[in-house]
Amino acid sequence: MDLLISNLGHGFGVALSFQNLAFALLGALIGTAIGVLPGIGPVATISLLLPITFGLPATTAIIMLAGIYYGAQYGGSTTAILLNLPGEVSSVVTTLEGYKMARNGRAGAALATAALGSFFAGTVATILVAASGPVLTQVALSFGPADYFSLMLLGLIIACVLAQGSIVKAIGMVVLGVALGLVGTDVQTGQQRFTFGIPELSDGLGFVPIAMGMFGIAEIVLNLERPESRSILSTKVGQLWLTKEEFKRSTPAVLRGTLVGSFLGLLPGGGASLAAFGSYMMERKMSKGRAMFGNGAIEGVAGPEAANNAAAQTSFIPLLTLGIPSNAVMALMVGALIIQGIQPGPRMVEAQPDLFWGLIASMWIGNVMLLVINLPMIGMWVKLLSVPYRFLYPSILVFCCIGVYSLNNNAFDVYMTVLFTVFGYICSKLKMEPAPLLIGFVLGPMMEEHLRRAMLLSRGDWSVFVQRPISATMLGIALIALLLMAMPNIRKGKEKAMAE
Amino acid sequence: MKLNVNGKDMASGLILMAIALAGLYLNLDHSLGTARRMGPGYMPAMVFWIQAGLGALVVFFSLMNGPDPLERWTGLDIGTFLGGIVAGLAAFWIAPSIWGFFGQTYNAVGVGLAVGFFVMAISAGWKMLAIICASVSLFGLLFEHAGFFIGLATLIIVSCFAEPTHTKKGIVGVTAFLLALSWWVFIYELDIRVNLWPQF
Repeated sequence: MDLLISNLGHGFGVALSFQNLAFALLGALIGTAIGVLPGIGPVATISLLLPITFGLPATTAIIMLAGIYYGAQYGGSTTAILLNLPGEVSSVVTTLEGYKMARNGRAGAALATAALGSFFAGTVATILVAASGPVLTQVALSFGPADYFSLMLLGLIIACVLAQGSIVKAIGMVVLGVALGLVGTDVQTGQQRFTFGIPELSDGLGFVPIAMGMFGIAEIVLNLERPESRSILSTKVGQLWLTKEEFKRSTPAVLRGTLVGSFLGLLPGGGASLAAFGSYMMERKMSKGRAMFGNGAIEGVAGPEAANNAAAQTSFIPLLTLGIPSNAVMALMVGALIIQGIQPGPRMVEAQPDLFWGLIASMWIGNVMLLVINLPMIGMWVKLLSVPYRFLYPSILVFCCIGVYSLNNNAFDVYMTVLFTVFGYICSKLKMEPAPLLIGFVLGPMMEEHLRRAMLLSRGDWSVFVQRPISATMLGIALIALLLMAMPNIRKGKEKAMAE
Repeated sequence: MKLNVNGKDMASGLILMAIALAGLYLNLDHSLGTARRMGPGYMPAMVFWIQAGLGALVVFFSLMNGPDPLERWTGLDIGTFLGGIVAGLAAFWIAPSIWGFFGQTYNAVGVGLAVGFFVMAISAGWKMLAIICASVSLFGLLFEHAGFFIGLATLIIVSCFAEPTHTKKGIVGVTAFLLALSWWVFIYELDIRVNLWPQF
């Protein structure tokens, strides 16, 4: 406990430096802005800012990128409540009750609950990350290569099970991602694989061109194909506080939402949107106000908003302790760390205490900032919506292009981005999820390394994966998850849950 | 059992299989090694076989879980798609002999991509995708040699044609604003090393 406090103290020392504070604020501001704006999400934003973080110290860069992710959860609720327009996927459920509340003249109360609930959840999740980080790291350090391989396999499988749409297709995308990760020089023999003699490919396919093409630019094209429909703000915000009764009703919802969100954020493939859905379902079944659902029940705003923010933060736990990204945003964080020359994994706590504790402290500071940014300044954010998409997308393109080019000062990366834009476009037309591909791409090279090392140690005996207890447990869970999904009843349940 | 074909799934499965087979073919160059000492070809062989299997599985299920047909391609869509590929490849081969500059580094790739996408942009079905991709390709071609301002202005102006509600005044405004903003962010603040004006 004392150690935890002294570590957190160290973290606050790092996070409170002027530069880190400034970039945490910048991240929170950008995050809120893209949260408010539909059509651009945290994945696209973080991928287009990745190259810019190159020039920053690692800690500062990650603090800013993290701010974007949880900032987007705050911003997304604003438009969901006021305009029935989810700025992010994770705030889709907030529109259900939040917009009804706004129609009933309780917009101010809904916004206040969302912000306060998020803040509370963010605080709890920050403590959770700080407390569990070092413990999990200790566990992870006892992992052998076989355990690591199985853990990664488990992560990939669960990410697919929880992904939208067909599981087989999602696994196919993961494997394709792993395959794309094979391009480049083989680390152990130095042989060039799948490079077609192109020197730029000998270091492997670039992470940024793939992320930017599939998530940034392909997204623009798809948004352009959907004609714009934005209603103009007609609801009055009203007073930003809660009545005593509303406060009493939302408190248990926030507590439950925090719990559900913290847990779902940990799971690979989980993250903010799944957490918000989970909490909404729970509130509809359990809360005292369940009869009011559909007519503006405050529990339906408080729970999901707390859950998505809690999940946004706890999803950092697998990344910081095991080096395993649980969703596309975390895959981008791995990319950012690798660009900085840091290999994410259990050694990060020891080797990069500034980064680890500084990031955790900055999460809490960022939540305080977001509370201030969001509540009193809400009118300003809503005005942002009057910027039409036709002015927005050239700006996104400019940042994407300069970012990609300046990675290596080479137009080759720009052309690769074009290719992955086309591929991302095809994928979304065929309903193939791009997020599993990105996670596979990031984990692929690590999996190959661990597999080779494990097989070398076991002298070519494959049974090592079931003989080691940790590894066997992981594989067992993965198998159960797959079998469960193969059962028709459960699959239908999942489809129903996703559809709602 | 009645067939209920899911066109999207079938296409996805076929794409997965095609990439896997191409990968397996290319992997013939690499030695497999043994399970104990894996060669550079071991992991790729495993990954591509799994991928091919999953692709086949997706195709198999696609026979039953439809219907979800592919979007219809008009005759013009097909024509411009094939025409774009042919024109792009032709431009890629011919460009270097027209002007030596096109032969340097990857400039011929940029020319080929831009030409191909402009041909595709003729049909309404491809318009958004093709114009955005063409603008990015032109950016790649111009940014280094024609400089920061010309490269960016081309990117912005060409990309604006993808959105029909743009007005002339709006395009001029957004171009001027973005040039100023990106100069301030990337040149003044971040100081990235690029030419501001044409260098040949």
